[in-house]
Amino acid sequence: MASQEKKEVSKEGALKKQSLINIVRSLLPVIGLVVVCLLFNILTKGGMWSSRKLILNQVYVVLISATGVFFIMTMGGLDFSQGSILGIASIVVCVLSKTNIALAVVGGIITGAVIGAVNGYFYVNRKIKSFIVTICTMFLFRGVIKYLASNSPVAASMQVYDYDTTPIKLGITVAVLAIGFVAFRFTKFGINLKAIGAGEKAVKFAGLRTDRMKFLIYVLAGAITGLAAFVNIVKNGSATANVGNQLETQILIALVLGGMPISGGAKVRFENIIVGSLLYIVLNNGLIMMGLTTQAMQLIQGVVFLIFVAIFADRENLSVIK
Amino acid sequence: MSDIRLEVKDVSKSFGITRALKRVSFNINKGEIHALIGENGSGKSTLTNSLAGIYQKDDGLFILDGKEIHPHNQLEANNEGISIIVQELGTLDGLTVAENIFLGHEEEFVKCGIKNTKAMNRKANELLKKYGFERIKAGDMIENYNFEDRKLVEIVKATYFSPKIVVIDETTTALSREGREELYKQMKRIRSEGDTVIFISHDLPEVLSLSDSITVLRDGDYIDTIKSSDVDEDGLKKLMVGREVSGNYYRADYGEEISDEVVMSVKNVTVPGLISDVSFDLHKGEILGFGGLSESGMHEIGKACFGASFDREGSVTLADGTEIKDIPTAISHSIAYTSKDRDNESLVMNQSIRDNICLPSLDGLANKARLLSDKKLEDFANTYAKKMSTKMISVNQFVSELSGGNKQKVVLARWIGKDSDILLLDSPTRGIDVKVKQDIYQLMDSMRKAGKSIIMISEELMELIGMCDRIIIMKDGKISGELRRDKDMDENSLIAKMV
Repeated sequence: MASQEKKEVSKEGALKKQSLINIVRSLLPVIGLVVVCLLFNILTKGGMWSSRKLILNQVYVVLISATGVFFIMTMGGLDFSQGSILGIASIVVCVLSKTNIALAVVGGIITGAVIGAVNGYFYVNRKIKSFIVTICTMFLFRGVIKYLASNSPVAASMQVYDYDTTPIKLGITVAVLAIGFVAFRFTKFGINLKAIGAGEKAVKFAGLRTDRMKFLIYVLAGAITGLAAFVNIVKNGSATANVGNQLETQILIALVLGGMPISGGAKVRFENIIVGSLLYIVLNNGLIMMGLTTQAMQLIQGVVFLIFVAIFADRENLSVIK
Repeated sequence: MSDIRLEVKDVSKSFGITRALKRVSFNINKGEIHALIGENGSGKSTLTNSLAGIYQKDDGLFILDGKEIHPHNQLEANNEGISIIVQELGTLDGLTVAENIFLGHEEEFVKCGIKNTKAMNRKANELLKKYGFERIKAGDMIENYNFEDRKLVEIVKATYFSPKIVVIDETTTALSREGREELYKQMKRIRSEGDTVIFISHDLPEVLSLSDSITVLRDGDYIDTIKSSDVDEDGLKKLMVGREVSGNYYRADYGEEISDEVVMSVKNVTVPGLISDVSFDLHKGEILGFGGLSESGMHEIGKACFGASFDREGSVTLADGTEIKDIPTAISHSIAYTSKDRDNESLVMNQSIRDNICLPSLDGLANKARLLSDKKLEDFANTYAKKMSTKMISVNQFVSELSGGNKQKVVLARWIGKDSDILLLDSPTRGIDVKVKQDIYQLMDSMRKAGKSIIMISEELMELIGMCDRIIIMKDGKISGELRRDKDMDENSLIAKMV
């Protein structure tokens, strides 16, 4: 009896320890965000706070498109073509905005979805690894963008400036995140996605049409980035040959900074997107305001990125082979 | 005492908050087959995996021939003279048979930095021939072979270099009769050479007939080490469970009529290379058994009926005329399937027990707005995990932390939660201890009485005879005979149709 009690106590103690580690892990990105904000505000003597609107302006596109990539990474895939998707969709938005703004929004979304479908087709039906497929489509569509926008940037209709207000941009972002959060956290969509990331074969045997799901997620991620293209054009007014350049890396870094395990699976949390994107943008702007050179910035980013990957990599999930 | 091979001293190991081994100490002698028994989750595999370098023990000592050893991986353990055949698949895809056998020992065949593949294959073929596995070819890719052949390759890999200790973890249940005989022969050879076999098995008659001494673990505690000659099956069960277990755990009834109502009709089903032209009917409330040698194609029957076979011809039709062509259709028409390959096909290992149990039932658990609540999912998972008396800390624990038998309970809990009417159970008691087996048999019996239909595919003839209303025997991908439930049926009448 006494040993039974003792066992219970030690179990409880161990349970507490375990959950403490988990809490620290999940709080680290938030703590990081607060620390980085405070640090840069002190270092720039409040300069950062006064330019908060400018900083916030940069985070919308990353936040929106990171939502789609978040879904892809949850199921264990990767997507490097997001920047090119944003670029093509931005050009489409610019062209269509001269006819009708609503048409431009829809056109952007459809363009993104179509490119997502191309990714999905080669990934699912032709069974090529997602990072290979999306690197190929990244180059392919980057080439198309260069072709379309090299001579002169594609300008949008002047009308889009009417939409360049914080309520609209913030509204779209919050709407995407809210819908994404509810779907991910409170419907079978999220559980299924995480399960695919953790063990696809077994999920198939539990009755999920995994191939269809994987395809649709790539289409969805493309469509979401297509919507981000509208916000991007509202912000910039035109699409240059460099539009969307390196967005994919920004998203990837943001998600990892937010605590996302790179292999996806059961330990993924939706909060990763928001905290990560904010942390990335703040870090970036802070370094710029500090007057660092581009080279030094990349160096620091690389180090920070590496540290976070090392902390959050889900080693249990990188299947240990006996 | 110079004949002590291995001293296990105060060895402890925890996984997160689960204490799998609690200061276990005992000795293992030279030239003996030493069995390690205990219920699921008693710590047998944890102990041997720590010895073989797969896990790192938290505390305590392993003293091999008077020398402390601390293997950090399987290769280091190999070099100390310890090899292991693990419970699940221990060969690597993407390598040939020969490369798998000599994994970590390739330097024997390397000259000036260049690997002599020919010499390696030749040596591997010689070994395979010596063991009598000529049908396995050294140059073939390992994934071209089935589960059983891959186990045979593992036997070669683990024993060819005459290690001091060979650990055989729950391997026999994956093997057919011939495979087992071969394994027994190798175990006895190792013993006769003065080396030691540590043998983990749930098959108590097998343990009693093979081993010289037996160590019993229970819940991570060391219970006792006894000479096999001093104990019988009931004595062992008592030590394992800690109380008396009634001997009879199969169904007791005989002569019940099978209902005429057909719930599933299988017609001319062929899966190229595995089964050809198989037809049978499954009746309401019956347990239909499938037996045969491991390669007889019987394991594909379950997949074919579940719509999971690639390239299936022929038809599987339910009573209402629905054709089962894919898994989602099967599940939505109340069919359940548990795979022999539990870790890959039945369970999402790195996911919570909760999500594993709820996966196929998510639609039913959602509210009108199609939203799910954590509490509802947890309650659901708890209800069915508890019903199966799964040993766990909470339903939010990852499945990968559970022992083999408890994993199987999670799989069954999932389908009981789904309230499936047709259950396709492939090797449902593989690697599972007496007490859980009894639970599963009782569960099957009560499901049968509730009008559910069960197909049970098994390599254990005794459980087929004990549980099934009808037994279909498979041979070379075809049905070779059918037997009705009979009190006087014995294993030989089944074996006659198998070979």
